[in-house]
Parts: sequence; structure tokens; C-alpha cells
Amino acid sequence: MNVRPMPEGSDGKDRITSEVIRQRLIAIPNIVDRNITRTAFSPIVAEYKDYAVGIVDIKGRLISQCKGGITIFVANALGTAVLDGIETYGIERIKQGDILITNHAGTMGQHLNNVVMYTPVFVPEKPELPVAFMAVVMHWVDVGGAIVGSAVSNTTTEIWQEGLQLRSVKLHDAGRPIEEMYRVIEYNTRFPRMVLGDLNAQLAGCLQGRDMMVQVYADYGIEAVETAVSLLWDQSEAATRRAIRSIANGVYRASSFLDDDGIRKGAPIPIDISVIVEDERIVIDFSNIAPQMRGPLNAGRNGGAVAAARVACKYLLTPNEPANEGAFRPLDIVIPDGKFLSARPDAAMGGSGSMLPTVIDTIFAALAPAAPDRVAAAHHGTYGIHMFFGRDPETGELFKQSDTATGGWGANCDRDGNGPFRSLVHADTHGVPVEMQEAMNPFRIDSVALRCDSGGAGKYRGGPGIEKIYTPLTQMQINVSFERTQCPPWGLQGGQPGQVGWVEIHRDSHVIGPLAKATEDIRLNDRVRVLTGGGGGFGNPATRDPHSVARDIAFGYVSAKAGREIYGVELTSAGDVDEIATSRVRASFTDWTKASPSVQNSHNQFTREEPQA
Amino acid sequence: MKSVGIDIGGTFTDLVAWDPEKRIFFHAKSLTSYGDFFVSARHCLEETGISLDRVDVVRHGTTQVINAFVQRSGARVALVTTRGFRDVLEIGRANRPIAFQLRYDRNPPLVDRPLRFEITERIDAQGIIVRPVELGELNALVDRIRLSGAQSVAVSFLNSYRNPSHELQVTAQLRSLLPDLFVTCGVELTREWFEYERSSTAAANAYVGPLMADYLDAFDRGLRTGGFTGRFDLMASNGGVLTPEAGRAQPLALVESGPIGGCIAASAFAAALDLGDVIAFDMGGTTAKCALVQSGQFEVQSTYYIGGYEHGFPVRMPILDIVEVGAGGGSIAAVDDLGRMTVGPRSAGSEPGPAAFGKGGLESTVTDANLWLGRIGGGAFLGGRFTLDEGAACAALVRNVIEPLGMAKSDCDAAASGVLRIANTVMAGAIKEITGDRGHDARKFVLLAFGGGGPLHAAELARELNIPLAVIPPEPGNFSALGMLMAQPRIDNAQSFFHELNASAMPLVCALLEAIEVETRSKLQQEHPGETVSTSRFMEMRYRGQKQSTRVAADGALDAGSLRIAFETEYKRRYSHADSVHPVEIVGVRLVARLVSTKEGLLGVASPRPDAVPVVTEREVYLEGKGRMTTSVYRRDSLPFGFARSGPAVIEEFGATTMIGPDDRFEIGRLGEIRIHCGAPTT
Repeated sequence: MNVRPMPEGSDGKDRITSEVIRQRLIAIPNIVDRNITRTAFSPIVAEYKDYAVGIVDIKGRLISQCKGGITIFVANALGTAVLDGIETYGIERIKQGDILITNHAGTMGQHLNNVVMYTPVFVPEKPELPVAFMAVVMHWVDVGGAIVGSAVSNTTTEIWQEGLQLRSVKLHDAGRPIEEMYRVIEYNTRFPRMVLGDLNAQLAGCLQGRDMMVQVYADYGIEAVETAVSLLWDQSEAATRRAIRSIANGVYRASSFLDDDGIRKGAPIPIDISVIVEDERIVIDFSNIAPQMRGPLNAGRNGGAVAAARVACKYLLTPNEPANEGAFRPLDIVIPDGKFLSARPDAAMGGSGSMLPTVIDTIFAALAPAAPDRVAAAHHGTYGIHMFFGRDPETGELFKQSDTATGGWGANCDRDGNGPFRSLVHADTHGVPVEMQEAMNPFRIDSVALRCDSGGAGKYRGGPGIEKIYTPLTQMQINVSFERTQCPPWGLQGGQPGQVGWVEIHRDSHVIGPLAKATEDIRLNDRVRVLTGGGGGFGNPATRDPHSVARDIAFGYVSAKAGREIYGVELTSAGDVDEIATSRVRASFTDWTKASPSVQNSHNQFTREEPQA
Repeated sequence: MKSVGIDIGGTFTDLVAWDPEKRIFFHAKSLTSYGDFFVSARHCLEETGISLDRVDVVRHGTTQVINAFVQRSGARVALVTTRGFRDVLEIGRANRPIAFQLRYDRNPPLVDRPLRFEITERIDAQGIIVRPVELGELNALVDRIRLSGAQSVAVSFLNSYRNPSHELQVTAQLRSLLPDLFVTCGVELTREWFEYERSSTAAANAYVGPLMADYLDAFDRGLRTGGFTGRFDLMASNGGVLTPEAGRAQPLALVESGPIGGCIAASAFAAALDLGDVIAFDMGGTTAKCALVQSGQFEVQSTYYIGGYEHGFPVRMPILDIVEVGAGGGSIAAVDDLGRMTVGPRSAGSEPGPAAFGKGGLESTVTDANLWLGRIGGGAFLGGRFTLDEGAACAALVRNVIEPLGMAKSDCDAAASGVLRIANTVMAGAIKEITGDRGHDARKFVLLAFGGGGPLHAAELARELNIPLAVIPPEPGNFSALGMLMAQPRIDNAQSFFHELNASAMPLVCALLEAIEVETRSKLQQEHPGETVSTSRFMEMRYRGQKQSTRVAADGALDAGSLRIAFETEYKRRYSHADSVHPVEIVGVRLVARLVSTKEGLLGVASPRPDAVPVVTEREVYLEGKGRMTTSVYRRDSLPFGFARSGPAVIEEFGATTMIGPDDRFEIGRLGEIRIHCGAPTT
């Protein structure tokens, strides 16, 4: 088996130089990344890390990208932006010291808060044209539009309701800040100080990265750097190809659905995906997914289909490799225009990322029969936004505390599900500490606890979701945006689904909810309960090691009742496994799916077809 | 005999002793004895012939705390939290530092769920008691802790950073109800906010509490049995020293007890030679570490991750800000299945060691590459105690590098120099992280290199980073142990405090700093009666909305306007931009108290003899970009003060070899240090 790419005429010494260059190219975005975390003004950038840093070449190809951050941006948001800028201006009009920005929905296909900023890298060896671009995509807190935060409405129907669009404009011209652009930005956001503060961090990141790139070119010369980059791409491509080859050829298919588009409540949005594996190529075909929606759960081709396919492939094929252009060369994406992952430029796209966890889970499900060791059962699968906002009764100031769901992840073929984490399109996103939330907002949090029985049962159990209880200290509002309440996180190979998440408000003696997509008032003596979903299980629960079940019960991850009824495990009064009784109960589970009514899940519409030879 | 430094590492135990009357140093080394750690210390003492009854001070650094975490060999811990929050320790911050791994997981929490207990109490974010502690629950809680088999207890309540009374009250009760258990609490270790970080700190302290109590008892007993009646100090991770009592209460403070010595020595050395700000660079067998010493001080970080950021858990203790990478003499060079060469983090360690050791190691290491290229002399290793096998080094290079990369068999030089270039890139990356990443310009520092491998790579690293001067102290292999003898007691006290930076904040900040100062001073004074204490004050500030704060010195009178200017200046220095309009908020204060140093004249001991006659031989050494050239090899202890030559050159001594590149120039300084003036980068 020879997968080792060896460029023509290269010898070992060049390989070592290339390795040194490769390490430096990979280090640059990570260094910039850390400085952005330190200098950003808004929690969504500093804590939530809703940004990514990368280097792209002058053809828009991704050379390297930072390790943490939000995974969606691996869909080459950076390269797409650079290409649009080159097309708009012509490469010869992009000068040393230019800073360009874009958030154009038609090209980026993401909500307008995601603004890419980039600057060309010029080196003295070849002064006429840039050799690369340093780029940072960042979620700006607010870019205007119908609602505070711009992208969080459940009810917008056109992109123009969601804020300001800036299509490939210069923010600096040859090193000179364009004050008019700064004014445009300042007067089109509800939080100008915060946005401009974040923008400064973004700008400093572009410049710092650019200077480090210039040093790399100065140390090794353009030719050596380009050789190293093409080697780096070839190596990543080879890694992807080798991983694909380990999966049997075939057409694999799975389907699932989203709850609704926020406008037509309760009308499910079907997702039906085919994955074609052929030797060393992989094709992800979205032709059968639902058309573009009226509400904001749309993304353009790049932010939608390409992002979902690339993120899924990265997880499945080369999780330990750095992300770059080469890793995705063996991947083809098929999708006609006008689907919810290839929406037209005028579609509302506020929730452009929030469908992706379900879409990616579905791609995993399709490949589960062919690559059971690479996939996981479904995870809680939603952003699960729960945003508290209102006016502080003492100061009269606006407050806003936005949080997203941390829930269980699916089990693998040989281990329990992990988590609680955010969705799989998040990554190094930190939860905001309770002590910080309480210091800054008029509410108290009464508990943050793991949810018993929330992880789907299986030979390997899904990871648990959590439950949080809030007590408001004044009247306020809550904006909720949860998905996957109707299509729970499914299990694989006989594993059961995890429990779903939702929000409910306890008022006097009644309960408002379950809420999934809603904005509600909260009154003084209410309690707000936020529940997040668990991951799906893997394999038949009646085959789980009874000692693991006993441990789960002792730890409170699983109830004694579920242990008995779903896992068929009987415990002694001391909490140890009663081996004899367990064998007897498990023997009675001849068809384990009929053992208990709670095993059936009427919501789970998930189907899977065997591969066609 | 006056002072003895004992450094117990995972593999070796090192001892340095200093006799001030005779002005002599003693060194000894022995394999670390597991079980009774004092045995290896006793071996070292016997080797040097030092009698403990003549020793005034013993300074002790140990890797036992970090090893207990790495090997998960600590105590069974019970955690007591505010009702509703026992799962905080397991949920953490729910982040995944590695983006695309479906199987990503953190290291499991130190306390399993059945050992995490809750008690009814509540304090709000302003420090106001919402619900008093339900003392009636205590007896049942104690029974459950007993039943759980816990050996130690950590207590951590929500918002206790704001009002610690409940946490302290329950801790005191548990101490009296469970007198045989180690009981600790979050606010006794850190007064900063964030419930997960504080709970994790408390749990970590409880985890190593019983083990370190036993360790210190045994060590103390060993010393006393040997007739020792002097002062026994432990090396703390903030660069200070702790009494054994403080070490028993806060064993977590010993987590970076090992590497701190080198920084202390670097600080003293930089001051004695007027070097200005230095990068202390320590390259050993498995890792290289670097830290900054600026104006004689080193930074402590506020959050340290045990087990690393990607999979580990945070602790909030004042721990030296140090960057460590897996590149040392034993680091293994390999080519992965996609044809990419890596060096480290896997290490051949001391068993089996590099291939050239001939102890069964077959994999090619950094030491093998250095040997093959003639940079280390085969016969001179550890003063000739040890003969290195060049043939084995070459065979390993062929196996690990040349064949997998498809290079010609005869290309051993290129392969070996490739191994060194990659190791240097990794180490240069660490130095860039500790400098550039924190807003410092590496070129303005002096590279002070020590440890077994530091002197071999210092000149190349300095060139790559455009650092003009690299300095190799005398006895670089014992530099860290030497630093232990120089350490001064120190307490770092940080506390969260939130207020917008304005005039009305000033009286509050002053009062708080005053209170902390009184408390900290008296604590230090109590431990060291009759000594003089000096303090420095700092404030942690940030732009509103920011996550990370910037530390600003706050000595002297405080006013909001000048603090704002100081903040913006520091911010701009770090990040090259600053905002003069956006609100700035104070998030904490920090006070450092230390004993005024009574410098022991430890540095001049190795001063070169003016009448020394240089001993020089020659051998072929491979030089990057030039190939093999006949190169002068000097015996370090034969070089007189002021001796200067142009490179290339090799300078050998017991335990270390210094490499001078062809474009460099070196001279011997007045304390016997080698000063390398670096030429242009050779890339």
C-alpha cells in the first residue's frame, strides 16, 4: 500500500524543510486564535469562540486553519470570501495594507453576523501580486435587523430583515482606515462599542498573522513555501483517500427531519441524504432534502451543503488531521439550488447553522452500516438557544444572557457516549459560569444537574443531557430556539434514542410549554426549567455489561427502573448485580424491543436502507 | 554546612549543597527510590559525605504531586457543594478543545458522582445570604462521607468568592467531625470567581492531600533521624518556598515544584550580570521548558491545566507561567504513515534511552542525531562515565528516518540535521509562545539556556528567533537545583473584585488591598519571624465584555485616571492596539508578598581562574549549511575569564556540551558564563 505522496524530484532534505514550514504554517492561525480570545470585547467571541482564523492562497484554497473555534467555518468560509473579493476588485487592485470584509449571504450562505475580514500577504521577492491572504471570520454581536442579535429571530422571512449586508468592501485602503466604512458599521449595529472592539481584535489578528506569514516567506522563499503547501495538501488528501478506502463501496442512505421552520408550526422538514462511496471518492447527495423554507432555517450552498458535508467528512475520515483544502479534494457535493442547504440569496438565513447538527448526524447514520467504527449514534443535535433579556430594574439598562444547550453525545460501537457538550458544529466553546451569569443578570440559577435516563440505552449508552432551573429576580423575556424535539437523537444497531430537550416555565401551579421555538414573558415568581437532550445508544441494551448498568445506577445516570425494564438488570439490595435474576430477565427479552412499552419510540422516524451493491 | 537542595524527579534525585565557609558546592545524583523517597535523598547525602546535623536549611522540590495526577494515584475524595451543583465538577465548561473528534473526552473528574454530596445553603452574587447553611444536614452528611470510604474532603460552594462564610463554616465543622480526614475548601486556595475552576482546585488539593502528608512526614522523619535540626522548606510553584505545614494544607502548590528552581537561578544570574530580561530555557531528557524573567520577576498564571488544556482540568493557584514542549534529548524522531517527520513528544527516557546508549533502545532520538553529527563527543558524555555508540545512532537514523523518507543510506548527515531542525522548530515555537504570544518581542531578551540539552541548542534557537545574545551559566546541568538554594519565601494572594474603573471604585480597591496586605504580611511574618517582608500590588482589568484580564502594577497611590493609562499602555504593548473610549472594569486584585532577599553569594563560585590554560582538541563536526568541518573542542573549566573566539566551536564539561555556530562568537564572562553572540539566521 503506497499512499505516501512524493512530489517529483523531491528528496529527503526538501521533505524536512517542508515539514519545518508546515509546522510554522499550522502554528500561525493558532497563535492568532489565542490573541483574539484575549482581546475580543463580546462574550460570543471571547467565551463562545464564534470565529475562525486561517490562511488561504490566492485561489481561495485553505492552507491552514486554527484548531478550536466553530467547526462550520471549515467549509472554507475564508476562501469563499477571498474569491469574491478578487472577483469584485480584480487581484491587481488588491494592495499591500488593504483590509477587506464581507458577509454577503449570496456567496457566504450564512447568517449576516458572520463577517470575514482578510488582508493580502505581500513579499519583497514578488512585489506585484499577493502570495496569500490572512483571514478571520467572526460572529459580530449585532448587525441590525429585526431583533436584538440579528440572527436569532424564529420568524424572519427575508435576508433584509436580518441586518446589514456588506459585500466585499474595503475597510482599509493601502493601510489607511476608511472612516466612512467605520461609520456605516457603527450606525448599523445595536452594540457599536462591542462590535468595534471585536472588529479591532479581528483586525489585529489579520495583521499579526500576515506579519508572521511574511516572515515564513522571508525565511524560506516563495518556492519552498509553495512546495511545502502542496505537499501538505497532498498528505491530507492521501489521509482522506485512505480513510475512504476502508469503507466498502456502496450507496448509503438515511433520513430524519427537523421540527419545523418556525413559521408553520409542527410541519416537519424532511432530510434525506445519500452517501456514495466509490474507491477513494465520496459523494454526498442532498437532492432529496426539503426545499428552501419561509422561516430563517436556511443556508446558502457554502454555509449549508458544503459546510455540512465537510464537517461530517472531517469527523468521519480524518479527525486528527489539520483542516485544509487537500482534506476535502476527494469529496463531491450534489445539491440543486433552492433547497434549505442551498437557499437563494434572498432567503432568511438567521438560523443558517442550526440545521447542520441534524444534517451531519444523518450523514453519520447513512454510513453507520458501512463504517460502524467511525460513526456515533445521534447527539442532542441542537443549538438549543435560551436567551434571557430585559431591563435591569435598578439601572434600567438592557441585559441579555444568551446560552446554548449542552447535551449528550451518541455512543460509539465500543464506548459510551460522551458529553455533555454543545453541538458538533461547536468546539472549544466555553459555558459561561453560573457565578458570572448571576453577577451580570437579575436571575439565580438553582441547579445544574445531569439528567437521569436521558442518554439512550444501548450496549453502549448515550451521553447524558442536563437540567437547569432558573429563578428570575425581575420580570424579563426568554427567547427559545430548540430543535430535535420531534426527531429524538437516535440510537444505532439496536441502541435506543436519547431524550429530547425543551424549555418550560412553571407559573403558579401550571406549566407553560414544552417550548421549542418561542419568545415568552417571565414573571417574578416563575421558575424556568431548561432540559437538554441525551445522546443515542449503540447496540442492544440487553447486551450491556450488567456491571456497567449497576455502576450507571449507582452513579444516577440510569434509574433502577430503567435498569430493570430496559437493560434487564436486577440488582441485589447492596446494589450489586444479581446474576441469576439478570440472566432470567434477559432470557425473557427474546424480542427485546417488545420488552417494555418505553422502549418503543413513536417519534423516531429515522430509517436506513442497506447499501445497494 | 549551610544549605542543601534536594530535587526528587520521576527518574533521578539530584542534590546540590553549598558550604559558605569553604565556598564549595557539592553535587550528587541517584535513581529515585519509590516507596520511601527519602532513601534516594540519603544516597545522595552519603555520596557527598554531608552530615545532616551540620545543615541549616534543606530546600526540597518534588514531582510527586504532578506524578500523582498523571498516574491517578491520589486519594478517594468526597466533594461537598451547594445543593443543586454537585455535577459542576463533571460538566465543567462543556468545551471541546479538539474540534473534529467524535470520541473526544476529558480526563474523568477526580471525584465520582456518588462521592459528590450537596448541602442546603445559598449565597447570591452580591454575597448576601439567601439561605443559611442547613446545619441539621451535617450529621447525615458526615455519615455518608464515612460510608463512602473517602480519605479526604473538598468543600466548594457557589458564590463563596464573594462571601466565604458558609464554605469556611462547613469546612471547620467537617474538620472537627472528621478529624482523621484531610479536609480542604476552595476559598482557602483561591478567592477568584468561577465555580467549576474553584471546585476543581479544591478537589485537586484534596486528591493529593493524604499522599503528600505521608510523603512529608516520611521526609521530615528521615531528615530528623539523620540529625537535622534546621529549617525544611518546600519549593512552591509560584517561585517561593513553603513550610511543611503550608505544604500539607496546600499540597497543590507543589504541582510545578520541580522546574521552578531554574527560573529562580535565572533571575539571580540575570541580576548579577545585568542581563536585563531573560528567557529561561531548560532542555532536559523528555521536554524543553521556557519561562520569562523580567526585572528579576517571573509571571505566574492564574489558571493552570493539570493534564494539559486539551484533556485536563483547571486549577487556580499561582503557578509559574511556563511553556513546555515534548522535545528533549530522548525525544524520538519518527516518520508517520503519510511521510511526515516528527520529533517527540514520545521519549526514549532513561530506559532504554537513546539508541547510542546501547541499553536496548532502537529508536532514533535527538541525542543520537547530536552524536552522529559530532556535536556531542562519544567519549565525553557525562565526563566520560558513559561511552556512546555512533554506529547504533546511525543505524537508528537509517531505520527511523532515512528508510521511511526514501533517502539514500549515505544521507545520514542530512537526516540527523533534519531531526535537529525539527526539534529546534518545536522548541522555537515554545519560545515564541512565551514571548510573542504574550506581547513580548523575543529579540529584546537574552536567552539563558541550561539543563542537559539547553547549551547544545541555544545558539541555533537564538539565531532562529533573532536573539543577539545567548548565555550558558556554569554547571548548566545543576542550575535548577542551585536555584532552589536561592529561593525566597513568597505568598501570592489574588481575589476577584468587580467594579467599573472609576473614582468611586478607588476607596474600595484600596481597602481591599490593605486588608489582603495585612493578612498576607502577618502570615509570612509568622512563618519567618524577624525577616523583612516586601509587597507588590497588581490589578486585573479588562475592557467590559472581555474574557481575559490584563495585569497592571498598582503600587503607590491609586487613581482611576492613571490606572486607565497604565491599563491602555500595557494592553497596547501586548496586543498592539487599545481603545480609549470603551469602559474598563476591574475584575480582581493581586498581592505578592516576599521576604527581602539576603543574597547568598552562590553565583561567583564557579568563576574562571584567570591563570587557566585553555585545553583544546579538534574533531569533525557537522555544521548546518556547511557540512562537516574540523572544529575546535574546548574543555570548559580550562577557559579563563575574557577568553574569546569565533565559531565554530564546541565547549565540553561534565553533564553538558555547548555548541557555537560558524557565524557566532563566544567569550567567557566574569562568572564563568559562556556568552554567545549570534550571527545571522542560517535558514
